[in-house]
Amino acid sequence: MANYIIPVLFITIFVYALLKKIPLYTCFTDGIKSALRLVADIFPFIAAIFIAVELLNISGLSDLLTNLMSPVFGFLGIPKELTKLMILRPLSGNGSLAILDEIYLMYGVDSYIARCGSIIAGAAETIFYITAVYFSTTKITKLRYAIPVSLISTIIGAIVGCLLCRVL
Amino acid sequence: MTTSSIALMIYKSPELVLSSMINGASSAVTLAIRLLAIYSVWIAVMRIIEKSGLDKKVAKVLSPIVKRLFKGESDEALSSISMNFSANMLGIGSVATPLGIQAIERMDKGSLYASHNIILFVVINCTSLELLPSTILGMRASMGSVNPADIILPTLLSSLISTICGICLCMLFRKFGKEKV
Repeated sequence: MANYIIPVLFITIFVYALLKKIPLYTCFTDGIKSALRLVADIFPFIAAIFIAVELLNISGLSDLLTNLMSPVFGFLGIPKELTKLMILRPLSGNGSLAILDEIYLMYGVDSYIARCGSIIAGAAETIFYITAVYFSTTKITKLRYAIPVSLISTIIGAIVGCLLCRVL
Repeated sequence: MTTSSIALMIYKSPELVLSSMINGASSAVTLAIRLLAIYSVWIAVMRIIEKSGLDKKVAKVLSPIVKRLFKGESDEALSSISMNFSANMLGIGSVATPLGIQAIERMDKGSLYASHNIILFVVINCTSLELLPSTILGMRASMGSVNPADIILPTLLSSLISTICGICLCMLFRKFGKEKV
């Protein structure tokens, strides 16, 4: 069923465009041209985030932060073992999936900690990556309350998620 | 963050600084090439959607909510916002990103400061709208979970609560903070 969604969607779009007499091929190549420009525009920001995350991991700063933050998260009802996941989640999607994998191996997939980890990884977004990339083509440099509000909301969501895990 | 990481490494492992920076950059290159491939297809299709006027129809379906949240934005901006939200709900982040960039470009008035509407849009994107955490379900299934799907409901509730919190906090800031130019 799911396999048919994309092809059917594409055919509908193409046929609709043909009926409206849109130059399909030119539109298509134009689109690819802007894809090329877009990737060039966002690449510096992707690279900066990736370099920062790599350094954060290799330098051991993330472990340092983990030790520092784990009592805080523990107090909020988020298992201490998930502190590293909480720190990396807003920075890197692949990085946090790798940590989740480690958590599965260490505590078992169906353990309380692993279930909480799944919720934290699934219900949050890569806040720093998104903001870096979304603003890459505008002049906006002052994001004001965007990041703090996102981080606070995500933490509240995680606290509730862990609570639900104990109840459900 | 980067500076403090490097400072720590000077003390612990100076030989790894350059190599790990290049490692980070090279995974960025890999990702960028994959994104280029994905965007080539999706932006091309989206261009056709736009030229044929289909996007305005999509926007009309979602617009009652989006219009209420993003007062004073143009129809073009509202349509990018609606399509970005739909892509996010379906969990196709790679489609959502170019639409999100487009939405912000269309809301942007050339100021250095992000407007209340732009911030609200970013916060909603940052608090996750995904309806089905398919990657994590897959991971759990492959690790032999007894019931991989038992995290769906709490995950959905958790992300719903974070999105509602984000919207409420933004509304507070909008009420008490002035628009900066």
